[in-house]
Amino acid sequence: MEKDLVVYIAKSLVDDPDGVVVNIIEGEKSTILELKVSPDDIGKVIGKHGRIAKAIRTILSASATKTGKRIVLEILD
Amino acid sequence: MIKEFEGRTEKEAIDNAVEALNINREEFDVEIIGTAKKSLFRKGMVKIKVHIEDDDLEEEREPVSDFEEKALTFLEGLIEKMGFPGKAQVFFREENKLGLTIVSDYSGILIGKKGKNLDAIQLLVNVYTGRLDNTIRVIVDAENYRNRHEENIVRQASRMAEQVRKTRRSKLLEPMNPFERRLVHTTLNDIDDVETKSEGEGLYRQVRILYKGSSH
Repeated sequence: MEKDLVVYIAKSLVDDPDGVVVNIIEGEKSTILELKVSPDDIGKVIGKHGRIAKAIRTILSASATKTGKRIVLEILD
Repeated sequence: MIKEFEGRTEKEAIDNAVEALNINREEFDVEIIGTAKKSLFRKGMVKIKVHIEDDDLEEEREPVSDFEEKALTFLEGLIEKMGFPGKAQVFFREENKLGLTIVSDYSGILIGKKGKNLDAIQLLVNVYTGRLDNTIRVIVDAENYRNRHEENIVRQASRMAEQVRKTRRSKLLEPMNPFERRLVHTTLNDIDDVETKSEGEGLYRQVRILYKGSSH
């Protein structure tokens, strides 16, 4: 499940794993995942020039090829 | 693992194998593939194929440090959560560098188009392990993709350079990352008639091969 994947990645990268929350907004063709982390950890899931965020999105879309559904990751601050 | 060696005699070929692989003679099987024809000036060479039991290398694949253990666990967890489970192994250790390889039925999708997914996985592994020890860079591979990909780039660059030399018209290669572009520049550096330049903006600039005439 894509939510578990995002939780797994985020918890591995942040200092405060308990601060990781992922909400799912299920749509017809696409699923939106909202990722929330502790304010101090936000840079750790985005990275310089969004490199980490981009990698997470790439991995999510690879994983989503199983279901054929589009996955959108939003990082909330 | 199978490797090929040469020598003037069967024994010399075997000795070469022992030296190159740093293992004992008892640890591998030898198959003689053939003796090259003796020519007038060159003595015949014996070619052998060396079969090494993979068990002998099994130890090397196991983690030897907390760092390696954690890197492998994270990587296996990641691909499992992606829905493409497999096994992660150590495949080389160098100073400040650790090579991991994924063995999975899903390696095709884990590599992705032009290695896109493998690069994303490698980046996340590095961000994760960087928190444990940021002096060690981790390379993530599957199905020997990274080597094959490098060979393809070198081959393609040489082919393109040959065309530029024939037609005397410049050619633009497809967008590449900094590592790939450097590989093209260094490959074509010693070819006299062409020069290479990068153009475009951002992470994925393109290399152009230009004709600069014979240096003679």
